[in-house]
Amino acid sequence: MVAGSTLRIAWRNLWRNRRRTSLAVAAIGLSVALVLAYYSLLRAYADWVLATLTGPMLGHVQVHAPEWRKDRAMDRTIEDVASILDALRRDPEVASATVRVYAPALAALGEEGFAVIVMGVDWEAESRPGRLLAGAPTPRSRGRVLMGRALAEMMGVREGDEIALVGQGADGSLANDLVQVQGLIETPVDFVNRQGIVLEIGEAQTLFAMPDEAHEVVVHARDPDAVELLASKLAGLPNLAGTEVLDWQTLAPEMVSLIEIIEVAGVFALVLIFVAASAGVANTMLMATFERTHEFGMLLALGAAPGCIVRMILAESVALGLTGAALGGTLGLLFVAVTHETGLDFAALTGGGPTELSFAGLSWSMRFYPSLAAGDVGRTILAVLVTSLIASIWPAFRAARLEPARALRD
Amino acid sequence: MAWVSSKYAFRSVGRNLRRTALSVLGIGIGCTLALVTESINRGRDELFARMGAYSGAGHLRVVPGGWRLRRDPRLRLADGKRDLEAARSLPGVAAVTVRARAQVLLAMGTHVVPLEMVGVDPENEPRTYRFVQNLEEGRYLAPGESGAAVVGRAVAERLRAELDDDILATAVGKDGDIEAALFRIVGIVATGSEDLDASICQVTLDDLEALTGLPSVAEVAVILEDWQASESTRALLAPRVAPGDEVLTWGEIAPEFQGHMEQDKAASRFIGFLIIVIVLLGVASAQLAAVLERRREFAVLSALGMQAGHMVRLVLQEGLTLGFFGGALGFALGAPLVWHLASAGLDFREYMGSSYSFQGVVLEPILYGDFGIWMIPYVLLIAVGATLAASLYPAWFAARTDPAVALRVAQ
Amino acid sequence: MARARLLRAVALSASISLFSGTVESFQKPPDVEAILTHLDDLYRSKSSTSRMEIRVVSRRTTRTLRLKAWSRGEEEVLVVIEEPAREAGTATLRVGDNLWNYLPRIARTIRVPPAMMLGSWMGTDFTNDDLVKESSLHKDFVSRVERRSEDPKGWWLTLEVKPEVVGRWAKIEFLVSDDWLPIEERHFDRKGRLARTMRFDEVKTLGGRRLPARLVLTPTDAEGQSTELRYLEIDFDVPIADDTFSLSRLEQTR
Repeated sequence: MVAGSTLRIAWRNLWRNRRRTSLAVAAIGLSVALVLAYYSLLRAYADWVLATLTGPMLGHVQVHAPEWRKDRAMDRTIEDVASILDALRRDPEVASATVRVYAPALAALGEEGFAVIVMGVDWEAESRPGRLLAGAPTPRSRGRVLMGRALAEMMGVREGDEIALVGQGADGSLANDLVQVQGLIETPVDFVNRQGIVLEIGEAQTLFAMPDEAHEVVVHARDPDAVELLASKLAGLPNLAGTEVLDWQTLAPEMVSLIEIIEVAGVFALVLIFVAASAGVANTMLMATFERTHEFGMLLALGAAPGCIVRMILAESVALGLTGAALGGTLGLLFVAVTHETGLDFAALTGGGPTELSFAGLSWSMRFYPSLAAGDVGRTILAVLVTSLIASIWPAFRAARLEPARALRD
Repeated sequence: MAWVSSKYAFRSVGRNLRRTALSVLGIGIGCTLALVTESINRGRDELFARMGAYSGAGHLRVVPGGWRLRRDPRLRLADGKRDLEAARSLPGVAAVTVRARAQVLLAMGTHVVPLEMVGVDPENEPRTYRFVQNLEEGRYLAPGESGAAVVGRAVAERLRAELDDDILATAVGKDGDIEAALFRIVGIVATGSEDLDASICQVTLDDLEALTGLPSVAEVAVILEDWQASESTRALLAPRVAPGDEVLTWGEIAPEFQGHMEQDKAASRFIGFLIIVIVLLGVASAQLAAVLERRREFAVLSALGMQAGHMVRLVLQEGLTLGFFGGALGFALGAPLVWHLASAGLDFREYMGSSYSFQGVVLEPILYGDFGIWMIPYVLLIAVGATLAASLYPAWFAARTDPAVALRVAQ
Repeated sequence: MARARLLRAVALSASISLFSGTVESFQKPPDVEAILTHLDDLYRSKSSTSRMEIRVVSRRTTRTLRLKAWSRGEEEVLVVIEEPAREAGTATLRVGDNLWNYLPRIARTIRVPPAMMLGSWMGTDFTNDDLVKESSLHKDFVSRVERRSEDPKGWWLTLEVKPEVVGRWAKIEFLVSDDWLPIEERHFDRKGRLARTMRFDEVKTLGGRRLPARLVLTPTDAEGQSTELRYLEIDFDVPIADDTFSLSRLEQTR
């Protein structure tokens, strides 16, 4: 028989027993949909972990003066930061770039001095969602600072209090000023909460005698997966000559391990789910095919060639598998389309678990944004096809070797 | 008629062996998967608890009151001896150790490194703090030794010092005077994380007390045999410690680990749920297909006078039987797998590019599955539960069969 | 610590002129123990006031401060910045093991937490324990004459730290001139590496004593960094009002 007509006959055969086929298609379709849903959640999870780890503090790429990370010396600064920011922002791969100043200092409410770190930041850039000060009340006037809540508790400082700051400028001069605490903050970064006093970047640069200078430039990339390339590209920029440009993986290798172990665990679970789904598909196929022994016996008795039967069964399985996969694929894509924009609340999804977590010195909010890559869908459909084919081989060959008389009696 | 249906159920299961075998196999594989997944999930919890505890937190720690908020290294326990005794007398304790800390400045010539020095009990410390086993050079502190220090690689580098060099430690003593002491580097530790390496400096507890003049110990760390007993053991210990001292669990000392574990628990619950659903789907569709093929059979039974209720019970009983055998098969297949997981563990290292150092702890990322009595009820529940749930629609369907229609329709 | 050493040197030269003996023209090695004992004993002046200039050369800039200082015994020191104008009036008071900073611009007095006292003094290459701790050359070191130096003329002394002493320096090489003024001091760390060098020059008469007015401290591996201390005026053993070393006085320094 010609291949084309084989498929047509196969298709018609399938739908002769509408209920059985519908059920099989539904079962396969749902399994596929679940696998795709899990895939999309796995991606969402990976994206979320990455965003939470890199968003607030680390960014994707950081620039420092050489050796600064070793001793954090005040005078190891990056110069001409205004033009550096300009050059960075003009790069199409850069989503955002901002600078920071880190100055160890003494802070005192009364007479008692406490060791703190004064951070000079760009309020606007760092208050965006997912960043360090997201949700914090940013000061509107000069001489106002935000203080880490744990630090404030230790010092006995409340909102509105005036504190003295004493430190050393980048030129070694004495830097001191009085500032007012505008608000107490709980950022996703533990050391900021325990030791941090956050000041506007321009004021920090003036206070610590570092005009147009900074200790750190933080860059967020448009494509979080191409960070290493971006880092090497930016390192080649003339404005950044003489600085150290590193991607977050190099800066925080422990974060990399974390992400990797999450990914590995996720893939492992995916494999398990895949196997479960495949087993379900196989079981369905096997059951469906074996139940039709009578039917095949009839066909054989009517003179159909065994090879024909085999081909027909295989074709039916392929058609069944494809249909199921198509249904499942559509459902899965629908799921992603609906949840991609608004995201999912993890806590609600898993029926419990915290809505906010503190972890790795950061605190995380739990909203996921599922997504799927073409490869994920392709892989799943392929798996279903292969499973269907393999699952139908045994019954197919068995059917071909049937003795019509016996088969008819079944 | 009741037990007739069960006899029938049993026999019909035996009648079509292939169909039965397929169903049982399907259920069995599904149960095996569910079992393996659950074992891994539990093992993952244990992995995080282990990470948290062995990063120095211990499963439990006795700390001075107020330490939780202020983390001031100068705080001392109200009665360290009593707390230590109380900790030692607890049931299910694997190791107990004591520590004290001080803010010091290490110096070699003009190079300095400020850090928090930790005074330890050399005999018990390695059992509670994993990293001290990652000595790159030299050796760990010996009990009763004086004037020796173990430092992280980055500390040695920043001081331009090497093994057997003498470094100066300056600290603020009890009355605010500045005290100094010399230490010989006897061991250098490399954890893989430069930040952590730059913060490691351990000396014996006696040496630290001599340096700071502050008496007694600052914390008692406890490692338990069963991490899950942390809360209950804390409840036992809390009333026995000196007034003013607090007992914290590792989740409170290192909230980052607990946070990850919580989040992971939620995630693994979800995965487990997904697997069960998929298993259910597979079983359901297989059952349904089987029932559909047997319409004639049911039609005959109905025509013979079997009532709908009995028909339902019949299908359900068949389902139960299948489920039971499927569960047994699942257990038979799964138990050895889980045993292997529990003993050899899942070694993630081959799948990971970087060496595993997290939160400053170098730990083998080997996940040990959980093997326990919980497996039996778990498998049964899944197998029987899934099969029953999967058989509900087929049962209802079978009962609804109009015998006349069914018998008339050519198969 | 520089001040202490200078004072020692000052006292030493004072004692020399008192004895009015001449250094023998043929160089007989001097009695090292005597030198050291003298230095240690004469280190203790009961009180002093002085004005000095400190110049810190770093990677990035050179910063010059002019200070006025009062000291009494070993426990009480008050230092006030006179120049640059931007920092004038800033004062540091040390009484025992407490350290306070007064900042005139914001009119606040802040106590430096003990842990922060361990680091460098006022951003220079001197450490706080240079000023706070007192190592005794005589008691803490075993000394000997190493060799004669012709250019400049003087004696190289080698001081090796005694085993039970706790300190940064395992060895100090000291070049002392024929009139027993320090010319150069080399500090070797516990690994025997040269960690820093102090050079003394600009010998003058200040406060009635002949001494090197300038001291330059250069750490060995620090990229061109150095700290220079130059005395402009010194008065020794002058009476100092009790309330000088007090917080209230601190705040009035402007």
